[in-house]
Amino acid sequence: MMKTSTQKTRRAFLKAGLSLATAIAATGWQRQVNSKMAEPVLGELRGRFIYDGTPPERKRLKVDKDVDCCGKYDIRDESLMVGPEQGLANVFVYVRTRGIPIPEGLADRWPKRVTLDNHECIFKPHCMAIWCPVQEYYIVNSDPIAQNVAFNPLGDLPANIILSPAPGNNTDAVWRFRRSQTEPVLIVCNYHPWESAYILPRDNPFFAISDSSGNFAIPNLPLGEWEFQIWQERVRQLDLPNAPRGRLVVQIKPGINDLGTIVVSPEHLKVVA
Amino acid sequence: MRGYFFSSLLIAVGLLVICSCSRPPAFRLNTEGRDPGSISPTQHEALTTTLADFFGTPDQATTPRGVELNHDLLHLAAGPMGRDLERVERGLYRKHCANCHGVSGDGAGPFARLLNPYPRDFRKGVFKYTSTVMGAKPTNQDLEKIIRQGMPGTGMPSYKRLPDDDIKSLVEYVKYLSIRGETELYLVRLVLDENELLPLNRQAVLEDGVLPAAESWDLPQIEPDVWVVKPHRPDWDDQQLQAAIARGKELYREPRAQCITCHGPEGRGDGEQTDLYDIWNQAKKGITDQQTRELARHFALPIQKLRPRNFHSGIFHGGDTPEDIYLRIHIGIKGTPMPGAGPAPGIPGVLTPDEIWDLAYYVLSLAQKLPTHSAHEDSERK
Repeated sequence: MMKTSTQKTRRAFLKAGLSLATAIAATGWQRQVNSKMAEPVLGELRGRFIYDGTPPERKRLKVDKDVDCCGKYDIRDESLMVGPEQGLANVFVYVRTRGIPIPEGLADRWPKRVTLDNHECIFKPHCMAIWCPVQEYYIVNSDPIAQNVAFNPLGDLPANIILSPAPGNNTDAVWRFRRSQTEPVLIVCNYHPWESAYILPRDNPFFAISDSSGNFAIPNLPLGEWEFQIWQERVRQLDLPNAPRGRLVVQIKPGINDLGTIVVSPEHLKVVA
Repeated sequence: MRGYFFSSLLIAVGLLVICSCSRPPAFRLNTEGRDPGSISPTQHEALTTTLADFFGTPDQATTPRGVELNHDLLHLAAGPMGRDLERVERGLYRKHCANCHGVSGDGAGPFARLLNPYPRDFRKGVFKYTSTVMGAKPTNQDLEKIIRQGMPGTGMPSYKRLPDDDIKSLVEYVKYLSIRGETELYLVRLVLDENELLPLNRQAVLEDGVLPAAESWDLPQIEPDVWVVKPHRPDWDDQQLQAAIARGKELYREPRAQCITCHGPEGRGDGEQTDLYDIWNQAKKGITDQQTRELARHFALPIQKLRPRNFHSGIFHGGDTPEDIYLRIHIGIKGTPMPGAGPAPGIPGVLTPDEIWDLAYYVLSLAQKLPTHSAHEDSERK
C-alpha cells in the first residue's frame, strides 16, 4: 500500500515534470515561431561593378545660361562615372519580376522621401530610385537662381516645375509618382539644358544604385528565384555576357548573396576610344 | 488608238480608286523611334491583335469594360463618313479631323507635313492647352473649347458652326484615341522593350495598361477643386489696369518665373534659350546631328523646333482672353518647356494668382489685346 502510494507520488512528480518540460519546450517553440513570423528569413544581393578600361575624360558641358552663377562651376558629363579602383557608379540594379512579396512592416521602417537637390547648377544626386506608393519625391532648389525640373514618366502625370531662387519662399516641391516604371525616367531642366538626372519609380523597394566604388546592395529580399535588371544611362539595358539585355536570374538564399565583381568593358557601354 | 489608251487608263484609275476605297482603314502601329526591322512578326501580331481586342478598328470602335466613354457619342464620330438609315451623320472624325490628325490620331495625316506646328498626336495623352494643373488630363470643356475656337496661328480651324452633339462626339473620339494610344505605348514597351512572354495576359494588360490610361481622364472630374483652375478676372478700372501692367512688367523681368529666358527681354520670342522642342519632337533628337538624321527614318514627320511666343504678334494658340493667358502662365503649356508658375498639388508655385493676373495683362498689353469689356460682358458677347 505504502509502495503503491510512493509509486503514485513518483508518477505524479514524473507527470508534472513531463508537463513542465512540454510546456517549456512548447513556449520555446512558440517563441521561435513568433520570432520567425516577425522577422522572416531574408536575403541580400550584393555586387560590385568595375570598369575595365581607362575612363574617357568627362566632357565639360556647355554652360551658357545664368553664367554669372553657373559659370564658376566645373560642370561635366555624368553619363560614365568611374570612381576609385575602377568602381563604376550610377548603375541601377532592380528586381524585374512582378508581384514580388514585400516583407510586412518594411514600409513603416523605410525613409519617407527621396530628395532631388538643384545644387551648384546640376541635379544632385544624378541617379535616384523611389518606392512610389511609400515615398514622396522632395524637390528642392539650393541655388540663387530659378530652376526647372521636368520629367515625363510613361502613363503617369508629366511634371514641369519651377522653383524660386534660394534662399526664399517657393524653393521646394513635393511630387508623388502614381505608377511603377520599367526603367528610369529622364529628368531635365528647361532653363539649363546641361542638367540631367534619372529617377526610377518602382512599386517595391528592391532596387539599388551602385556607389562611387561600384558597390551595390539590395537588402530585405524574400527568398526565391527573382529576375534582376541592370541598367545604365548610356546604353539603358546593360548587355553583359552573363546578363543578356542586362537581365539576370538569381536564386536568393538566406543572408548575403554576393555576385562578386561584375566587369563592364568600354564596348558594353559603347564608349568610343 | 489614243481613245482606247485613255479609256483603259480611266478604267485602271477607277479600279484603283474602288480598290483603295473598299479596303477598310486600319490603325497604324506606333513603332516611332524604332527600327521596324527589329520587331518580329509575332510581336507585331501580338500588339495589333491585343489592341484590336480592346479597342476595335477605325470602322468599329469598341472599348473594354471599365473604360467609361459615351458610346452613342463615340459612334457618331467613328467609322466611315456618311449617314445612317435615320439620316444621322456619322464618321465625323474622318470628315473633320483625320486629314491632319490621322486615322490613328497620330498627328500625321496627309496634310500634317505642311503644318507648323504639327497637328496634335493624341497617342501620348498630353494636350497643350488645358485648365488643369500639372500634367492632369484636360476636361471635356477644354477640348470642346479648342474644337470650337480653333487654334489661331496653327492649322487648327474653328468648328463653332458644328452642333454641340457633334463637338461632344469628336471630344469623345479624341479621348478614345488617346486612351488607345497610351495603352499602345504601354504595350509597345511591354512587348518590345521588356520582351514579355507571348501570348499576353489579357487581364494584366487591362489592369496595368488600359484602365490607368482611362482612369487618368477621371481625375479632374473626381477632384475638380484640386486639379481644375478657374480664373476669376479682377474687376479693375483703367487706372488699376495700368498699375497691374506696370507690376507685370517688373515681374516679367524678375528671375522667379524666368520669362525672358525663352520669350526675350521685350517679349519677342527671342530669348537666349533657342534649342526648344516639345515632347513629340524631343524623341526625334539624337545627341549628335548624325543620330538625329538616323532617327528621322523611324518617325512619320521630320523634327520640328518650338518657337517661344512673340507676344507682339498678337497670336496666341490657346486663346487671347485674359483668362486664357492667365491659364497659360498658371498651368504652363503641357508637353512643352513652358512650365506652370502657379500653385499645384504639392507645389507652392513661384507666382501668386494676383501676380499671374499682373503678368497676363502685361503680356496682353504687348499684344495690344487688352480687353475692352468685363469678363461678364465678354461671356455674353460669345
